[in-house]
Amino acid sequence: MRTLEPRHFAVLLMGWVLTLVSPLGNAASPQWVTLDWTLAETLIALEAPLSGVAQIDAYHAWVGEPRIPETVVDLGLRTQPNLELLADLAPDAIFISPMFSNLTARLSRIAPVEPLPLYQTDSDTWQEMQELTRKLGERVDRERQAETLIAATKALFDRLKDRTPTTAPLLMVQFMDERHVRVFGKNGLYHAVLEQLGIANAWQAPTNAWGFSLAGIDALAAYPDAQLVVIEPLPIGVEAALANSGLWQHLPSVREGRVITLPPVWSFGALPSAQRFARTLVSALEAPHDD
Amino acid sequence: MTTNVLTFNVRYHPRVLTLLLAALTTFLTLSALSPVPLGEAVRQLWTLDAPLTPTLAVIHFSFWPRLAMALLAGAGLGLAGVLMQQVLRNPLASPTTLGVASGANLGLMMATLFAPGLLDWGREWVALAGGAAAMGGVFLLAWRSELSPPVVVLAGLVMNLYAGALGMVLLLFHQEALKGLLIWGAGSLAQNGWNDLNFLWPRLLLGIFAALLLLRPLQLLTLDDASARSLGASLKVLRVGGLGVAVFITACVVSVVGIIGFIGLAAPNLARLAGARRLGERVVYAMLLGALLLASTDLALQQIPNMLPTLIPTGAATAALGAPLLLWLITRLSLTTPSASQGLPVHAAPHLGRRSGILMGLTLLSVLIALLLGQGANGWFWVDSGSVDVLQWRWPRLLAAASSGVLLALAGTLLQRVTSNPMASPEVLGVSGGSAIALIVAIYTVSSPSPVMLLGVGTLGALVTLGVLILFNYRSGFTPVRLLLTGVAITALFDAVRAYILAGGDPRGQQVLAWLSGSTYYATPTGAISIAMIAAIGIASTLLFCRWLAVLPLGDETSTAIGLPLRRARLSLLALVGLLTASATLVVGPLTFVGLLAPHLAKMLGFQHARAHLLSAALIGALIMTSADWLGRQWLFPQEIPAGLIASLIGGAYFMWRLARI
Repeated sequence: MRTLEPRHFAVLLMGWVLTLVSPLGNAASPQWVTLDWTLAETLIALEAPLSGVAQIDAYHAWVGEPRIPETVVDLGLRTQPNLELLADLAPDAIFISPMFSNLTARLSRIAPVEPLPLYQTDSDTWQEMQELTRKLGERVDRERQAETLIAATKALFDRLKDRTPTTAPLLMVQFMDERHVRVFGKNGLYHAVLEQLGIANAWQAPTNAWGFSLAGIDALAAYPDAQLVVIEPLPIGVEAALANSGLWQHLPSVREGRVITLPPVWSFGALPSAQRFARTLVSALEAPHDD
Repeated sequence: MTTNVLTFNVRYHPRVLTLLLAALTTFLTLSALSPVPLGEAVRQLWTLDAPLTPTLAVIHFSFWPRLAMALLAGAGLGLAGVLMQQVLRNPLASPTTLGVASGANLGLMMATLFAPGLLDWGREWVALAGGAAAMGGVFLLAWRSELSPPVVVLAGLVMNLYAGALGMVLLLFHQEALKGLLIWGAGSLAQNGWNDLNFLWPRLLLGIFAALLLLRPLQLLTLDDASARSLGASLKVLRVGGLGVAVFITACVVSVVGIIGFIGLAAPNLARLAGARRLGERVVYAMLLGALLLASTDLALQQIPNMLPTLIPTGAATAALGAPLLLWLITRLSLTTPSASQGLPVHAAPHLGRRSGILMGLTLLSVLIALLLGQGANGWFWVDSGSVDVLQWRWPRLLAAASSGVLLALAGTLLQRVTSNPMASPEVLGVSGGSAIALIVAIYTVSSPSPVMLLGVGTLGALVTLGVLILFNYRSGFTPVRLLLTGVAITALFDAVRAYILAGGDPRGQQVLAWLSGSTYYATPTGAISIAMIAAIGIASTLLFCRWLAVLPLGDETSTAIGLPLRRARLSLLALVGLLTASATLVVGPLTFVGLLAPHLAKMLGFQHARAHLLSAALIGALIMTSADWLGRQWLFPQEIPAGLIASLIGGAYFMWRLARI
């Protein structure tokens, strides 16, 4: 079990307060919209005034924090934002991921469209996250906040690194159903966090552009010494199925109790998600030593 | 002579084929087990050796159950396929024809999203319930017609389409929550214990037992209805029995391993091709071939080293490998056209003039509403001088929706008249599928593809598919059954690509989904105007073919006797269908089903003659698509439901209502 220390609460609370207080009101200030959750979490962390985000309910279910303020309008699907509504909002710029650049022609009739890349193949995710934060900060006139966010993240990682106990290489998985998992490796958020914390990632197999491989549970048997990290949410019924699964119960890591469970963190996120993941991971790794 | 559609010009003995496949399976098994001594590996089949190593645990809990599961599932699907093809008298029928798989899929999706508690009982029960509900719906629709094959096939198609469209809507809005189900949907045989196997084998045994009991009476179904009845058979009982057993087996298999494409279609056809003629023989060999095909494919897939960041689901792979095999098979089969009486019973309706007037009025009304009424940030509003700007977003979509509805309806009408097969539709012909494959490949290989590029790639895909269709059918003179089988093969390939792509969980899957679901979202002013012009040209050019279209449904002999150049007529009509479909697909995506529904609806309304059929189908296509586009944009505002999905839901509902009254 992970533990939450008082100062975690303090940090969380501060984040909430900041996000709640800052962007409201002041209609004259420029308004931004984004279709991408990663950009949305970064913009909120930068306290930029947002007027629209796509699929807000799903954002709260899958990204969670930082929360999107109540006043922000839901734009509809990320792949097909509602154009009539978007035109009605008349934002100053629309931030998208290059993945949706096929929308550019349509969207640029409403406002300038800015594609901001993250998770490009063959580039260092950690550097990319910082560049993204800086670029976004410049674009929305929040350079100072961008630098603060980057510095705060670095400081947090320095502190966490000192606390990180020695551990076997991690095998980070998220269950798709009782027989298949995503295993997180190179090119992804979780891997970047591990690198910053100086923890080894057991999974060296190739990953896709978003830093995970889809694999059957039998693939995990090839890493008998690894420390398993299960990232929630667990699909319904999987817990019961795993209890009855001969293969899962016979995995060395499971038999020897080397399994920790982490609360959900958006696996395609930017610095805010990275902070959250690092905090929960280190707390969970420390927990067995507290016993 | 309604059933004996397949006769063979090449004879192999089925035993030879079976032995060859068995040898291949054994070889692959041995090679997979090569890291450990064979005796030790075999011992893990029933026991787990004491100094427990991960390798042995994997062999015991994963390798053996997976092999057994592949054999069982393959045999089950082969058996279900034979039963389906026998009862429905259609070599295109497969275990999933009656909507079992899509029903199970929808059941699982709804349970996951709205009643997760149900899943605690076990996924297979939810899937079984969903499959059973879909089958129940099909039986209900076809009950009054004594479950006559064409009605059952149509009801199954509509059920598939309906469940598929609903599932797609859920997936579009809840992609994150449903990502696990996408793997199930692609058919993965991965096992991590013996539980699923223990679920499947007793049920499969029960199914086989029931099938054996039915074997003798089912042979009567080789005869036509009248002769079968004169021998004292109750057609309804026989059909309920045969289909029921097939559906039960399919549902059990699907609920455990997900949707495995192609085996249930290929195994029975392979068995026949290899020379199994009597029903008993066909059952035995289809089961053996199905089991060995699935097992060898699955074993071969497991041998692919860990080079890919994702696993290749077996169900998707069988479909992908099966498609070329099916194409090859088609050139080997000599196929004859089923007699023209295979279609739906028709009734001449009076008041056609009034009906077409009502249709036109409705279309006009739907266009006006779609243009002028909508929602904004402050709720509902009619367009007035202050908000006239909003029209710039609405008119291209409306025009594109109407035009693509017209195009697909025309293509569907042409195809159904040329092939005399009620299952024929542009989607089934594979042209949309081919263009979709090309687009998926483009989205996944180019980092940020431009719309122009996507358009070019899509057209290219459609043209290549059309080329394949022509290439494989030129020598046979474009026999309708062969043509449709070719289309089914291409569509199977498309389904495989789609399932594989979505199962991988790549975020770009959202984009593919959005496009696949038939949205007018991507319509541009120039695109809309061009497609409207193509639609106008399409109407004009199809009308030129009216005489051919009036004659072709009468059958080959009649057509030739009247002096129709069969091959040339079919080639030109086919090329036209291809072009119409490709243009519509590029605008609204491949899965609209207007091409299937509109021609049937037009016929059901009594528009029988070629010209009236074409024009009324076109009008119905436009009506369905425009109203669907508007509804889709308003229903869940600001989220948009693609017009193609809504069209399937509206058209499908009406279609079912009419079908139940036949």
